Amino acid sequence: MSKVINPALPGRKTTFGRKFWNSRVLLLMCLPAIVYFIAFSYAPLPGIYVAFVNYNYRLGIFGSQFVGLKNFEFVANSGKLWMLTSNTILFNLAFILLDNLVAVVVAILLKEIQSKMFRKVSQTMMFLPYFISQVLVGLLVYSLLNSDTGFLNSVLTQMGAAPLRLYKNGDPWPFIIVMVHLWQKTGYNSVVYFAAIMGIDQEVIEASMIDGANGWQKIRYIILPSLRPTIVILLLFALGGIVKGDFGLFWNLVGRNPILYQKVDIIEMFVYRATVSDFNFSTASAVGLYQSLIGFVLVLAVNGVVKKLEPDYSLF
Amino acid sequence: MKKFLALVLAVAMVLGISAVSFAEEISVANAADVWAKTWADVDTSEHVVINYMTTGDAPTTGANPEMLEMLNKILTEKANAEINIVWISWTDYLANYNLRIASMDGSIDLIGSSTDWLDAWPNAKRGGFLELSEEMLAKYAPVTFATVPAEHWAVCTYEGNIYFIPEDHYSQWTNHGWAYRLDWAKEAGLQDGVHNWDDLTVYVKYVKETYGKDLLAVWDSDGTAYPASGYISSFRKWRSIDGIASGALWGGYLDDPYTINNIFLDETDLLVAYAKLMKEWDEIGVWPTDVLSNTGADNRVEFRQGKVGLEQHHTQTWTGLVSPKADTQNTMYLTDEDADVGFFYWTEPAGYVCRDLVTHGVAAVSAASKNPERTLMVYDLLRNDRDCYDLFNYGIKGRSYDINEEGYRFTPDSFSSDKDGISTNWWWGRNDDLEIPSAAMNWDAINALYDKYEAEAVMYPYEAFVFDNTNVQSYINQVNETYTRYMKLICYGQFEDAEEIVAEFQAALRAAGSDEVTAELQRQIDATYKN
Repeated sequence: MSKVINPALPGRKTTFGRKFWNSRVLLLMCLPAIVYFIAFSYAPLPGIYVAFVNYNYRLGIFGSQFVGLKNFEFVANSGKLWMLTSNTILFNLAFILLDNLVAVVVAILLKEIQSKMFRKVSQTMMFLPYFISQVLVGLLVYSLLNSDTGFLNSVLTQMGAAPLRLYKNGDPWPFIIVMVHLWQKTGYNSVVYFAAIMGIDQEVIEASMIDGANGWQKIRYIILPSLRPTIVILLLFALGGIVKGDFGLFWNLVGRNPILYQKVDIIEMFVYRATVSDFNFSTASAVGLYQSLIGFVLVLAVNGVVKKLEPDYSLF
Repeated sequence: MKKFLALVLAVAMVLGISAVSFAEEISVANAADVWAKTWADVDTSEHVVINYMTTGDAPTTGANPEMLEMLNKILTEKANAEINIVWISWTDYLANYNLRIASMDGSIDLIGSSTDWLDAWPNAKRGGFLELSEEMLAKYAPVTFATVPAEHWAVCTYEGNIYFIPEDHYSQWTNHGWAYRLDWAKEAGLQDGVHNWDDLTVYVKYVKETYGKDLLAVWDSDGTAYPASGYISSFRKWRSIDGIASGALWGGYLDDPYTINNIFLDETDLLVAYAKLMKEWDEIGVWPTDVLSNTGADNRVEFRQGKVGLEQHHTQTWTGLVSPKADTQNTMYLTDEDADVGFFYWTEPAGYVCRDLVTHGVAAVSAASKNPERTLMVYDLLRNDRDCYDLFNYGIKGRSYDINEEGYRFTPDSFSSDKDGISTNWWWGRNDDLEIPSAAMNWDAINALYDKYEAEAVMYPYEAFVFDNTNVQSYINQVNETYTRYMKLICYGQFEDAEEIVAEFQAALRAAGSDEVTAELQRQIDATYKN
């Protein structure tokens, strides 16, 4: 093994070819990931050009007429670009922070559960919503909350209270969306942290117990610091997508109801509503490019900050 | 000398033209001879499959496989081709339809389309449809080419190219309005039925009070129908230009159709009156409380089953609702022997109705088709050949349908839709010359309405107009978004104050660029019509 990792023998110059040959096994293991990223991330890059043309099926992306920034006009003209972008970012910030916070808490709680059976059952129950399609989630929420036949309002009216007209009032929806998101994703997110906790050297924990640390101190001084790299890296990854909204979640919960979406509008929803009757690849790509550029800048910025504070944890 | 030559030429031309018109006129009656003559030198040695794309859900039961087998035998014999149906299911049909055309992989040949409810023009302009030259049509679809008049080919032409074949010889009316329960309207004191919005309000109030408890809703709307411009057209003789935006916003008054306006900016008083009426309907409880999120509803099926009292769609749909045997789901007639369905079309109070566009249904050839010639041949057969037409439209004689002594089509007693039904959604090549009227239809009621239509029908004034949206599409996108947002609020009474919401809507339309679109439309309309 050491031969592969450190192939340079004294007196020999390491060339790229030799390095490549010596690492062949590792590279082979990486191959699926490399092929995946080339095929789905790098090869389609030239296609970004479609955002700058008036796309014609027969002429193809590079044969179509170049129109410059015209495709970006419609989002820019809407006068809503700032509101949409900030809504999208704020929602994602809430998702990212709460996701990780709740996931860490849940992972620690799971770790502390002594009965293996109970732990497995609760983990499975939390994981289940992750597999439910967003369309069904939307219907579930509707049957819970709607005015005429919804579960919540049936209970309320049975008890003599006034029904809550949630689909006629946009204000509670940011909260409802975040709650539904957490319900759906926490089980999945906590798995990573749970694995990280399991990976912590048990001897350290045992040593702290012997030194008289209580449960809280164990979490505060051992588990949380050990989780820090995982938290930082997951946060960094998540930030790259902060300008990309979760269209499936928003569309299925809020959909075409303008009373609701004026409170929770995100870029994807607006673009979908404005262009669904237009079927225009070019405008859609223009918006996608705009989101990617902002995401790219954000990742660079955050990585820069992390590099300053904790050089070991930065991505590059 | 020059004058003499000109005279000789003119005489020769006149003679030439009359010589053509003296030749036997091509029609479905002599179609077989025409094909035999015109196709004699066409190379059909290779057997090909023509993939026909239509919107609709693929039938999982019924006699489609057997029908297609019989049909393909005929098509093979006459054009050495067979047809295969590619279905674009109704869920998100427009996006999937456009996507399939855009894929350009040669997997589809014949495309059913429409300039008002499917994106025929956008797809033509984006290069999805093959340009069809007159020579090509005359050679490979000779009967269709000869029977579609020149002025109808002209409306399928853009920048000198014909892009699709119109279904222009099929009688139907697709003007919108309300289908309602005529028996209940009579109970409510409306002996003649509903003929204006006041009648309709009396009706919905009565239905809510009398049947509200037994029904799912008076109108189990999913919040996606916006009758606002329909309301305005009850009071003003106005027609929208189809295919500009997602709603009927731009058009002109019929006495001056080429002065273009945005009806929602011009008719403020009517729009406010409409908003107030819808607020009243909301308070009556015509639709479910959460109508704007009521996405799961299927009001038409519920209407057929007698579970609701109102359906918003066009005349053609109503003909199927008023005829008890036209659909097996029409169970209201079984549970309620008095059941009867009336139709209030929006333009009725103003006393006019616009004829359908000839491009309401059109057939196009995919630009990626490997066999465009054969596609046209198959289309010509399906549209003009008796046997092909009957199989493709009605199914297998004796099983799917039969013909009675009066020449009407009926379903035999042995018929079961699971076993013998067929569906091809052939809405782009029907032909009155070959249509067999159905005995299942309530012709008394239908013809009474059709006669009324014929008496007050006016032509759609913008048939020759194809809009080039390049300069204003970004505004139209904004307007679409604004329109849908406010229509949902206005058409379902989801607001506090009618004047306020209308003013807000109009300001938002202007901010979205409505005036720019109006100006551009006016410019292009002038270029088309003011020469």
